[in-house]
Amino acid sequence: MKLAAHYNRVNIIATLSVLVFGAIIYYFAINQIATKLLDDHLSEEVSEVLGYIDANQRLPKEADFDEDQTRFYKVNGKPLPTRFYDTVYIKTKLVSNRSGRAVEGSVLFKGDLYRFTIIISKEGTENFVQIIAMITLALMLGLFLILFLTNRYLLNGLWQPFYKTLGQLKAFNIEAPAKFLGGNTKVDEFKELDNAVYIMTNRVASDYQNLKQFTENASHEMMTPLSVITAKLDTLIQDETLQQEQFEQITDIYSAAGKLARLSQSLLLLVKIENDQIADIERLDLEQLVNEKLKQFQELFASKVIIINVSLANKEVQASRYLVDILLNNLFSNAVRHNVNGGRLNIYLNSGQLIFQNQGTATALDGEKIFDRFQKGNSSEGVGLGLTIVKNICHSYGWKLAYKYTDGLHTFIIQF
Amino acid sequence: MKILIVEDEQGLRDNMLSYLSGDNNVCESCGNLAAATAKLASYSYDFVLLDIGLPDGEGFTLLRYLKDEMRSEAVIIISARNSLDDRIKGLDIGADDYLVKPFHLAELKARIFAVFRRKASNSNNKLVFNEIAIDLNGRTVTINGTEMVLTRKEYDMLLYLIANKGKVVAKTAIAEHLWGDEMDMHDNFDFLYSHVKNLRKKILDLTTNDYLKSVYGIGYKFTDR
Repeated sequence: MKLAAHYNRVNIIATLSVLVFGAIIYYFAINQIATKLLDDHLSEEVSEVLGYIDANQRLPKEADFDEDQTRFYKVNGKPLPTRFYDTVYIKTKLVSNRSGRAVEGSVLFKGDLYRFTIIISKEGTENFVQIIAMITLALMLGLFLILFLTNRYLLNGLWQPFYKTLGQLKAFNIEAPAKFLGGNTKVDEFKELDNAVYIMTNRVASDYQNLKQFTENASHEMMTPLSVITAKLDTLIQDETLQQEQFEQITDIYSAAGKLARLSQSLLLLVKIENDQIADIERLDLEQLVNEKLKQFQELFASKVIIINVSLANKEVQASRYLVDILLNNLFSNAVRHNVNGGRLNIYLNSGQLIFQNQGTATALDGEKIFDRFQKGNSSEGVGLGLTIVKNICHSYGWKLAYKYTDGLHTFIIQF
Repeated sequence: MKILIVEDEQGLRDNMLSYLSGDNNVCESCGNLAAATAKLASYSYDFVLLDIGLPDGEGFTLLRYLKDEMRSEAVIIISARNSLDDRIKGLDIGADDYLVKPFHLAELKARIFAVFRRKASNSNNKLVFNEIAIDLNGRTVTINGTEMVLTRKEYDMLLYLIANKGKVVAKTAIAEHLWGDEMDMHDNFDFLYSHVKNLRKKILDLTTNDYLKSVYGIGYKFTDR
């Protein structure tokens, strides 16, 4: 749920409860005031009636006080205290009953005690309360509508800079960082956010550039001492007085130096692929490339007596020749290196998939981990980057790479 | 041949110098661009081995100078940079070859050999080692007048060994030369042994001299001594 919707919901609930609660209190207060006014009116009537009796020395007739219904009853006993109460107002003309307000009291007239009641209609007051209620309701609805519209349009507008900033963040490309423009806003919070994002993106971009440069420089710097080692070894083996054990050690040094050089090259290549620095995309005939690789690896297959089963269909891809060459190289050498002597290697290519199946260790590998950097079997001679490079090449062209272990065959599937 | 080695790493420079010297080669070396420019201004060479990353500038500058002066020196760039851009740039300016560090000295010698042969006049396309004669254009080999039928790999291997004649060449160097990158992770040289065995057998079929000597499992040496 969006923040605006959250805010809207809370806002509406709060407003609604305040309005309903307020309306109830408002209603009772107005009622109270109206009753008080009626009672004042009745008190005035009472004094008028008493004045009338005093002046005319007779009891007024019912009709003497136009709308008010005044009645006198002769009673015995003590005088009654004056009290006000709600009652029914009988409107004789319309033969209908309305709610009314009455006052009751007693008066001494010519030695007799009379009880009197004066009833007046509440109709006017009720109308008044109704009108006030209607006005209140109308105000409530108006307020509601305005709140709703404000939230919907004004708040959405207020959030626009935020979405703009968010959009720019989503589109942020570390390789070619576009200048961060921010949401162009007057809101302090968003300004602060833009500022923070601006500083962050700049820092990330420069850190990234530094790291990239460092990786490349480190890799290059590594090559020079490695070439010194190789050159020294090449010179050293010219010495005819060396013993066989020394030659064996030199072989190991050769192998270690070679591994280090390839590791460095692989890391550099990974950095380049991850940064999309290899962009020489062209149309490639994958079938032909696989066939060429098959020829190149012939001797390796022969030395391990690997039985090859190939089924290729015509397939063209848009990619860098250099990267596809590395991809195939890694898949082929992977399939040879981990194969058993006399093992099988199946290669299938169709319009949707390139599949490599090879025999090897009799257990499935961890399909999640094998593509991670430096994941390799105990017996592996590689540097553990081959499959990571394959994965990254696939990733950079939007191809899917998957691993399966079926029927004793390690299967790598590239889905175009 | 007169060779100028321009390389700032002294360890590597000295080894290149000692490996390439002899065999009628005269080698000189220097460690920066200024010294190399001075040397090239005063003397002429057959070959320049040029490192791109020098302390006082890029080797490309020197390469441009040589091309601008219409000099005839063959140039092989040696560099730790293996990006496609640098290679293309180097070869575009006019380098004859581009060798990425780390490399084997045997590989360097073979490259020099190949560039030199390519640059030499067409009449000089025969390479003779005692009774072995190689026609570089036709890629054919004859021993005592009889043609020796070689596979492509065997031919390349023979040429590589002859370019490094008298030197011990490590197995890894031969494997990298013949198979290149895809050989990467194989420390198993069985596939190499069969080619060596076949080549030696084919040579011994036509002559009694066993030129191809194996050195303690570390490599091979092509020599008549």
